[in-house]
Amino acid sequence: MKIYEEAQTTALNFETRRHFLKQCTTGLGMMAMGSFLQSCNFLGGNTSDPLANTGNPLAPKLPQFAAKAKSVIYIHMAGAPSQLELFDYKPELEKLHGQLCPQSLLEGKKFAFIRGVPKMLGTRAKFSQHGQSGAWISDMVPYLQTVADEVSFLKAMYTDQFNHAPAQLLMHTGSARLGRPSIGSWVTYGLGSENANLPGYVVLASGGKNPDAGKSAWGSGFLPSVYQGVQCRSKGDPVLYISNPDGVSGDLRKQSIEAINAINQKEYEEFKDPETLARISQYEMAFRMQTSVPEVMDIKNEPEYIHKMYGTKPGEESFANNCLLARKLVEQGVRFVQLFDWGWDTHGTGKHESVDIGLKEKCMESDQPVTALLMDLKQRGLLDETLVVWGGEFGRTPMQENRGGLTQAFYGRDHHTEAFSVWMAGGGVKKGYSHGETDEIGYSGIKGRTSVFDLQATIMQCLGFDHEKFTYQFQGRPFRLTDVHGSVIKEILA
Amino acid sequence: MNISKILYITAGIGALAVGYFALSGNSDEIDYSTQVKPILNKNCIACHGGVKKQGGFSVLFREEALGKTKSGKPAIIPGDPEHSDFIARLSHSDPEERMPYKTAPLKKEEIEILTKWVKQGAKWGEHWAFTRPKEIEVPNKGMFAGFFSWFGGKKWEKNDIDYFVSDKLEKEGLKHADQAEKGVLLRRVSLDLIGLPPTEKQLNDFLADNSDDAYEKAVDQLLKSPQFGERWAGLWLDMARYSDSKGYEKDEGRSIWKYRDYVIKAFNDNMPYNQFLTEQLAGDLLPNPTKSQYIATAFHRNTMNNDEGGTDDEEFRTAALLDRVNTTWEMFQGTTFACVQCHSHPYDPIRHDEYYKYLAFFNNTRDEDVPDDSPFLREFKSEDSTKLVALKTWLKTNVSDKASAEYEQKVRFLEPKIHPHWGDQFVNGFLADNKYLSVRNGGTVRFKQMPVEGKTRLMVAYGNKTGAPTRMEVHLGSPDGKQLMSIRLDTTGKGGWTNSWDYKVFDLPKLSGKQDWFLKFTNPKVKPEESTCVIGYFILLDDFPGKGKSGYETGQQMFMDLVRTDPAITTPVMFENPADFTRKTQVFDRGSWLTKGKEVQPDVPKIFGGLPGNLPRNRLGLAKWLGSKENPLTARVAVNRFWEQIFGVGLVETLEDFGTQGFTPSNPELLDFLATRFMNEYNWQPKELLKEIVMSATYQQNSKANAALLEKDPMNRFLARGPRVRLNAEQIRDQALLVSGLLSYKMYGKSVMPYQPDGIWNSPYSGMSWRLSDGEDQWRRAVYTYWRRSGPYPSLMTFDGGSREVCLARRIRTNTPLQALTTMNDPVYVECSRFLAKRMLQENGDTEAQIRKGYRLALSRDITPQKLEVLLSFYQNTYKTYQQKPKEADKLLGICKDDAIKPKNIPSTAAMTMVASAILNLDEFITKQ
Repeated sequence: MKIYEEAQTTALNFETRRHFLKQCTTGLGMMAMGSFLQSCNFLGGNTSDPLANTGNPLAPKLPQFAAKAKSVIYIHMAGAPSQLELFDYKPELEKLHGQLCPQSLLEGKKFAFIRGVPKMLGTRAKFSQHGQSGAWISDMVPYLQTVADEVSFLKAMYTDQFNHAPAQLLMHTGSARLGRPSIGSWVTYGLGSENANLPGYVVLASGGKNPDAGKSAWGSGFLPSVYQGVQCRSKGDPVLYISNPDGVSGDLRKQSIEAINAINQKEYEEFKDPETLARISQYEMAFRMQTSVPEVMDIKNEPEYIHKMYGTKPGEESFANNCLLARKLVEQGVRFVQLFDWGWDTHGTGKHESVDIGLKEKCMESDQPVTALLMDLKQRGLLDETLVVWGGEFGRTPMQENRGGLTQAFYGRDHHTEAFSVWMAGGGVKKGYSHGETDEIGYSGIKGRTSVFDLQATIMQCLGFDHEKFTYQFQGRPFRLTDVHGSVIKEILA
Repeated sequence: MNISKILYITAGIGALAVGYFALSGNSDEIDYSTQVKPILNKNCIACHGGVKKQGGFSVLFREEALGKTKSGKPAIIPGDPEHSDFIARLSHSDPEERMPYKTAPLKKEEIEILTKWVKQGAKWGEHWAFTRPKEIEVPNKGMFAGFFSWFGGKKWEKNDIDYFVSDKLEKEGLKHADQAEKGVLLRRVSLDLIGLPPTEKQLNDFLADNSDDAYEKAVDQLLKSPQFGERWAGLWLDMARYSDSKGYEKDEGRSIWKYRDYVIKAFNDNMPYNQFLTEQLAGDLLPNPTKSQYIATAFHRNTMNNDEGGTDDEEFRTAALLDRVNTTWEMFQGTTFACVQCHSHPYDPIRHDEYYKYLAFFNNTRDEDVPDDSPFLREFKSEDSTKLVALKTWLKTNVSDKASAEYEQKVRFLEPKIHPHWGDQFVNGFLADNKYLSVRNGGTVRFKQMPVEGKTRLMVAYGNKTGAPTRMEVHLGSPDGKQLMSIRLDTTGKGGWTNSWDYKVFDLPKLSGKQDWFLKFTNPKVKPEESTCVIGYFILLDDFPGKGKSGYETGQQMFMDLVRTDPAITTPVMFENPADFTRKTQVFDRGSWLTKGKEVQPDVPKIFGGLPGNLPRNRLGLAKWLGSKENPLTARVAVNRFWEQIFGVGLVETLEDFGTQGFTPSNPELLDFLATRFMNEYNWQPKELLKEIVMSATYQQNSKANAALLEKDPMNRFLARGPRVRLNAEQIRDQALLVSGLLSYKMYGKSVMPYQPDGIWNSPYSGMSWRLSDGEDQWRRAVYTYWRRSGPYPSLMTFDGGSREVCLARRIRTNTPLQALTTMNDPVYVECSRFLAKRMLQENGDTEAQIRKGYRLALSRDITPQKLEVLLSFYQNTYKTYQQKPKEADKLLGICKDDAIKPKNIPSTAAMTMVASAILNLDEFITKQ
């Protein structure tokens, strides 16, 4: 198996070209090029036969084993939402509210901002049980309360990074340092995309900022750059340079691509470089993307009840719009949709950064659309094959943040690595289930602790990959998303 | 995954490997490196190697392989395969016992090789790349020369490279291609050597020159061109992970462009490669380093810096340190070292602790992941430079040359700094964001083990905007210990969190060794939660020398002025820790920086014989070893890299891995021949090497393929045709600018911001914004584009530019629809189309002539009738469209109603713009052929 993956891109390409040259070079009529390429399956089409799709690196491929989930919507609340105000109900912590934190919790620990001895902070939300499963969900997310039986919670997640950028990188790439492929890149590398006219891996950001980890959170690392996430934007071009320049109509663009491709065809006849054929097809695909991307990114034509359900307003840059877009994209066969919403870092340094007021504001923006997304996927029969993941990059302390050893004007919690909550729903996971448990005050997991790597391994499992065997050769060794860690959280699988 | 494909590729590679290496030596003698090691790597080493040692057996090192296993017996008994469990297990009848465990058994031939090898004594050998390249004789040279000339024939070979290639071609049953047509060849060599296509004049001159050495003259011109360095710097900067920002969350700007300029100059000056690497790794340790040599060391300051609030500086200093080790290996040795961070190398004979011995070379630089990027070289404004000269002269005259040099260094670097994160045991104070010293009224902080031996003065870099003076007391040993000094830090206008300090110097009582200091700050005017002042750093100083000499006060004043002044340019550089700041290096247990094991001293791995005794055990010694002829890898890796840039594929395809897991060279003799010639005859100078490559007949072949050739050699590894390779990101941009006449040839300086759409830069907690550069700075070569890690320039990224986060040894070329969208719709390319159209329309004659002209400007060859017909008919249709919709034409051309000057014929200008855009999108345009 030496160097197999290393060679994959290049070798695959020439394999394809061989296939091309043998079977596809006769009678290349320019105008028939598109249909011809389709018939050779060069563009992927909708077939699931992996042997038929050797040319396009994004052609659909089969996973290692049969799987329930075909696509993923990963919702990342950048800044790290407080589990203690949302899903991890701790009545004991309530009782300790305002008391000084016991030394035992502080010894040998490092915090980003807590200094000296902080006070304990009881939850700022009201908890109650919901659904058949009796899940504890706070009143900050009343919509989610109504779909408690659709989701599965991981209540004892932990990480080893307590700063945003490294923790987000770890969450999405399996490494706290830059340079590794993101989970979406791994997934599109492994599965390709079902829709040749849209990017296979789409990223949507809201909250006014990109996540702290920047574009590396959806980078392709050492995987070929075709597998990096394509950021679709609600302002300007939905995908960079998708619009023609002013004064160039769609029809003119079509003519220009035909002219370019006609000349490229002559060029191919002279030089016989298969790369030229690939370029011809990429120009055709670019043309199709020019129609399909703006179409899918436009929510104006969605029916009124859908807008009501999500709380969407066309033309805005909002998390709600991104949730609706996520559904549309998945429906169109996009493999991995990554949502980032910025502004969940509740240190208590200001009103909007507090775990009562600020967190509530963020929840009010996001609770309805997230719930709508689940219900919408369900009513379309898509939830069974779409894995939805919701979470942050770490948790928040049961202690009140005392930046600089002082009491803040607002209630806030510091970054916390030892406990946080994540929920998953849809393809491949149980409904209405809760895994893992933290101690009485929610400081650290005591049962069913799950790491970032475990979560990644589980996502890969839901998609049909053994995370230990799904590797890529780079710098002389096989790399995998979970590095040398992680095990599948079997308890949560349906 | 597609199984049939895996098998195909694996089999293909296996066949190549055997094909190349089975040729040498006595056929009865089994060769470890070429016959045994590949079998072990493929089948055994995953469970019996550097990571896992199942059953106590490993085949990584000979002594381990022959040692006792868990069974109590050795598995390999040299000379006795019958009693070697290693052999018996390969064909054991019990599937539980048979090896490789639970996978397909080895092939009969493989078992035979291993059996024979054990019988012959299980001799270990070294991997080809870990032994020095030998001088190689050029094959068949001169054999037929006489014969041919006798008959008036002309041999194909133009230089030694060609003999190696034709030897290979003959063995493969292939025939070389004809020479490429003149214009195509000039475009190819020009793109290869300077990253730009020829100008119209260069093309015409070349076509008109019918002399025998016309091509060589053109090559010499290109090698002399100042654009040469700009092209080759691009390659280097990817590996050096050069970036104009610091990375991570805030990703603030970093002033390090002088390093980029250094690289350009070094290539233009044809600096010997070993000197180039020495200056970059250890320029600061050379005797009397020049400014340029200091700037060269910015190479390893291209590591990222994490300014995110709350991050631990030591953690990210360590991250940068590991990155330096890994990058050094990858760039100069083409060997993966990163995995040795956690355990012994899984495939190559390098041990875990050898990683840390190597790391020890780098572990004593003064940088500590602080926000101001210290240490940095300060380059002064002209009036301050004059002052520096005066200061040095005074010291030379009145004290000594040594003192003069010492004080120049002090003002140039302001080191060694003692940073706030040195402080701990805060009372009523804290390390804000884990980075900044913040002590309130009456609060204290400890500075542990201050290296005070022999120091007589303390320099404080501080800011105080509280409106009242702050008192800082220094107590020895405890907060109530003996008071050493009490100093007043007056209010200053300056003082942010990260730079622009005010400086005060105070006398210290005489102290020895290292002492714990407790600093107490008082400023009754500040509110209880406010800091009394901001401390940037401390520096411990000696007495200013030359006391009693005339002009002493002025001298000291000049020194302080130079400390205080804001320099014109700063560049982060390497600065070695003085003795009293030395860090010791320990092995990280399982690669974790928090669990430190035994202490180690600087050394290079044993497989390379360790660091020679005559070299100093520091970065300079390491650099000298890397750049010596004794190093088996450096020249090979370098030569291979240059080759890859020219031919699109390296002689070793895996540029980043020459280890046993990398690809076998396609022409090992040629690689070694070039490597030894590079060292011995060319004195490591790149221009000579590149000239030899491009002067070869191999290089000058046309790049046309055919079905049979593609079947036999799809990747062109045997070189029966010339290179045909998509241009890289920088070449694509630069070429479009040149062809349209927009390109600015301005060299060097701060990075520039050409047009970029809104919303690319969106990092939290950062106030940086993309400000469109003025005038010609918009049309500079891509190498000058501002590179921000969190938001790199989109069109360069689309064409596979590296993200510059870590060393990228090889860009993988992709072919995507996003690339098509970029060259069709990115306003930069639309602008280029307009300007190219303008040039075309200036041509006298009809539309046909104008299209011919545009094609020739872009491709350096004449358009064929069929292609012309396509463009002509596209022009005519487009012209009609724009005649009917003149407003659309205005939009495309960016014409406003009240523009004073408008093109004469707007529809035809617009239509020609579309034709120009089509030309800029042709496969042959974005490809070197």
